[in-house]
Amino acid sequence: MPATDVDFEREFEELVRDLRALPTAAPEHVREHVRLLGEPAPTRTLRDVLPALSWRRSLLVLAPVCVLGLVSAALIHGLVNSGGSQSQALVQQTSGSGGAADKKGSTLELGTSATPNARSLVTPTSGRFQDYEASLTVRVKDVDTLHDRTAEATQVARSYGGFVASVDEATNGGGGQSDLLLRIPVARVQEAYFRLAKLGTVTAQHLSIRDLDEVVKSQRRRIVQLRLSIARIGQALESTSLPADVRLRLELQRDAAKQELTRVTGSNKATLREASLSRISLTLISQQAAAAKKGGMGRIERAARDAGSFLAGAGAVLLFLLIVLSPLIVLAAVGFWGTRAHRRREERRLLSAA
Amino acid sequence: MRVVNAVTTSWPALRLDRPTFSAVAESELDAVHRYLVFLTGNRTVAEDLTGETFEKAFRVWRRFDPRRGTARAWLCGIARSTALDHFRSEERRRRREERYARDLPETEDLAIGPGPLEAALSLLSAAEREVVALRVLLELDGPATARVLGISTTACSTRLSRALKRLEELMKDARD
Repeated sequence: MPATDVDFEREFEELVRDLRALPTAAPEHVREHVRLLGEPAPTRTLRDVLPALSWRRSLLVLAPVCVLGLVSAALIHGLVNSGGSQSQALVQQTSGSGGAADKKGSTLELGTSATPNARSLVTPTSGRFQDYEASLTVRVKDVDTLHDRTAEATQVARSYGGFVASVDEATNGGGGQSDLLLRIPVARVQEAYFRLAKLGTVTAQHLSIRDLDEVVKSQRRRIVQLRLSIARIGQALESTSLPADVRLRLELQRDAAKQELTRVTGSNKATLREASLSRISLTLISQQAAAAKKGGMGRIERAARDAGSFLAGAGAVLLFLLIVLSPLIVLAAVGFWGTRAHRRREERRLLSAA
Repeated sequence: MRVVNAVTTSWPALRLDRPTFSAVAESELDAVHRYLVFLTGNRTVAEDLTGETFEKAFRVWRRFDPRRGTARAWLCGIARSTALDHFRSEERRRRREERYARDLPETEDLAIGPGPLEAALSLLSAAEREVVALRVLLELDGPATARVLGISTTACSTRLSRALKRLEELMKDARD
């Protein structure tokens, strides 16, 4: 079968020569008609100005450009995000300085500090009842140091008149972590906090102060009211002229008041206990375990991780779009190929009929 | 293949010389006409369609991109779609006539020419004639012809071979 020009020209040499010799030049009147058309007016369109690229070529150019853009965006995102603080300390504070905030009970103040600093600790207001809660994450050198610092933290709590509510120490390979819940008298919490912060490098701190002054006052008022009420009822019951039903009702009221007094007194004691002892959650973490956490990562590692997250996010969006648009793409493709096949079939039919 | 060495206009955006329409029309007119004669099998129809092809080409001349193919291939593409439109309208006309005037005789005969080769050509299908025209007479290369016909290069080559063999056999029969 001839596959090239030379092949068919050689194989059908005579036939080709005869075919080319056929008089098929356009008649003069057709030539004249075409000449009369002249030259089209030059109209410069955007298509003329822009380089004419086929969609395949455009895709070949656009696809790498898009991928490059996405990777660049991911890298910039990673570098920008990794340049910030190594760790963020969230300081949550309930203001206890008096005024309207006291009556409402709480005011939130959120803040971050590039370098967590125990000296920036908000101290409890003296003369007020406050629920003081703090958490501190301290990084220590290694597992051996972790044991020593855990013991030291226990001693610190005791030395300030407090105690250790719970200790949870775990080591795994070269890393380890100790979680301690310390109860320390509020009056000495600042000193204790500073001592605890010196156990290693503070990587995170959290502080929460809830004002209990109004609660305590309210409980005390209620106790006084109840005591007065009980006393009055007692006086009334001393009278001998009381009818039986009234006496019974007063006795029931006195019993109820006594029960209420017991409950309120208990609550008051609990509140005072809360206000007298602060809670400090201390997390001691060894260097190796800390390195596993993001805060301890190197900048390049964090940048790579952030860039990876960005790319994963972009991938997820693309996948979502692909899933959503895939039925439309399939329909469009089917329509396109169907129309093309129909047109080809129609052409074949027309040419065979011609 | 003849090369268009006529007046050219510069295309600054692409830094490419683009032939003028009149130059292309002058040089390619015979080729397009030849192709249409073979495709339609009728000189009269081919003349009409040649004129129509160049009118269409005139209107869409700005779309011609020399980098995508030769002017000849581009014009043959237009000529082909013009011929297919003609076949469609002819088919519709015939259907109408069959519906309303069944007894009318078929008046249009294939008329490429008077000789035995022309008679043999008339016996080929339009698809066969057009591939012969494009490859043998207009000397378009395989890929350009395939692009005009909307088929693969292999299919184009097969069709050409089959058409030439059939034509040779028909000529042999005529001589015998």
